[in-house]
Amino acid sequence: MSILSAKRKRAIALLSLTSIILITLDLQGSASTSVLRGTFGAYFRPIEGVARVVTRPISNAWYGITHYNDLTEENNLLREKIAQQEGAAVAAAASVRLSQELLALNGLPTLAGINSVSAQVIGDSPSNFSQTVEINQGSDSGIKVGMPVMNAAGLVGKVTKTFTRRSIVMLITDPEYALSVKVINNPKESPNVINDPEAAATTTSSTSTTTTVPTTQATSNIPGFTPGATTIPLNTINVTVSIPSLAPTLTVPISGALPVRETGILEGRGPTRVPIVRFIDSAQRFGTILPGAPIVTSGGSLSLAPPDIVVGTVTKVNDRLGTAGPILEINLVADLTNLSFVRILLYQPITERVTS
Amino acid sequence: MSSVLLAMQTTLLNDMRPFGVMAHVMVLFAASAGVVYGSEIGALAGLIIGLMYDSVLTTPLGLASLVLGATAYIAGAFPYLVRDSSWWSKIIAVAVASAIGEILFPVAQAMVGYSGWVQWRVLTVALVVGVVNLVFAPVMLLLTKWTLKETLVG
Repeated sequence: MSILSAKRKRAIALLSLTSIILITLDLQGSASTSVLRGTFGAYFRPIEGVARVVTRPISNAWYGITHYNDLTEENNLLREKIAQQEGAAVAAAASVRLSQELLALNGLPTLAGINSVSAQVIGDSPSNFSQTVEINQGSDSGIKVGMPVMNAAGLVGKVTKTFTRRSIVMLITDPEYALSVKVINNPKESPNVINDPEAAATTTSSTSTTTTVPTTQATSNIPGFTPGATTIPLNTINVTVSIPSLAPTLTVPISGALPVRETGILEGRGPTRVPIVRFIDSAQRFGTILPGAPIVTSGGSLSLAPPDIVVGTVTKVNDRLGTAGPILEINLVADLTNLSFVRILLYQPITERVTS
Repeated sequence: MSSVLLAMQTTLLNDMRPFGVMAHVMVLFAASAGVVYGSEIGALAGLIIGLMYDSVLTTPLGLASLVLGATAYIAGAFPYLVRDSSWWSKIIAVAVASAIGEILFPVAQAMVGYSGWVQWRVLTVALVVGVVNLVFAPVMLLLTKWTLKETLVG
């Protein structure tokens, strides 16, 4: 090894120490590191802006070469999905509205009652080991660290850093992301039907009704025109009407048939692996979790997200021995690879709110 | 030069991700500095480049600085391993140092508590970054010679 010059040695030691001090300060949440980042950002943004403009044609050409087939397939798939969902969306919107009205009527919090800020995604993390995006709204818009971020589909992540006019959002897929969620399981069991014992013998009477439709001769005042097609021939229609007995029958869904909710912790696992939900109770009451069960945020006084934001659906259930409970692999409803606009819910749990 | 490379990193290379992996020009620059000028100047350059890179990352400030400093220092050890270095052996050295640097990132993150990134995927990332940097190393070696002076800090 060559002998390092004393000056360079000192400079290396100084810079290394500076880095270690900065790491320590940043991990402690010191504001000085944010100031440093902000100052550098003010210098670097114009350079980055110019670079973005200059390199955009190259990026577009790259996308054109590598993603053309995917894009065509995706477009076809999306058209089909839109057609399928248009009808369902109307019914769903009505259900959501009804649900929100019911919740409001009972004094329960709803997503509709939480203010939000819309923002545009302006950049990804320039690293292979961080799943974050940058948005163009910051503390000036009332955004604070921890606030949940969603798009039209569902939950996207949470705010982890705020500046005056921009923020950093950690995506659900980041391994450092964790959130309390609930799995809504809907066991497929038949409901209990309770019959009145005194009227246990249910009877069905059949009545035959004969209806005679008279012939209707349509006439027309138009000379030379006889509307023959509008003539309805004489018919006899036999209609069988089943009249059930009036025995009092009460249909009560058994407790297991109602959607059962169980809480767990959602954890991200990086861009190439799907997020999982841990710590699900393996109690029998909850029943067998089936793929497709929806996962929503659980809310609560300690959770950073309000209840009932859609996160995804269960794709795979990995059972474990003993009382450990299963691990659920989930499919996120929000497409995190193609984020353009997001909505930040200006929500803070009760425990985080500071009374002024 | 570092600012321009950083701008390329946050724009063009951030968009173009072969096999889902982002090419790492900052690591390439640090490794090239190490191979061209040796461990000490390489480490200095790496620490400064890393500090700039840190400013646009969400990981703790200073972490990338240490990682790139270490990467450049490792790359600077290349002349001690090869007696008569040729142009192609320098290119391979840059690629290998880049791959090592890429592995150091999640390791360093784990050391400060962000352990979730230590996964098998790191090897794929290192391999892709190594191959991409192998391709761009000749240009970067020339750029490094042109922009960095041996008289850096004395």
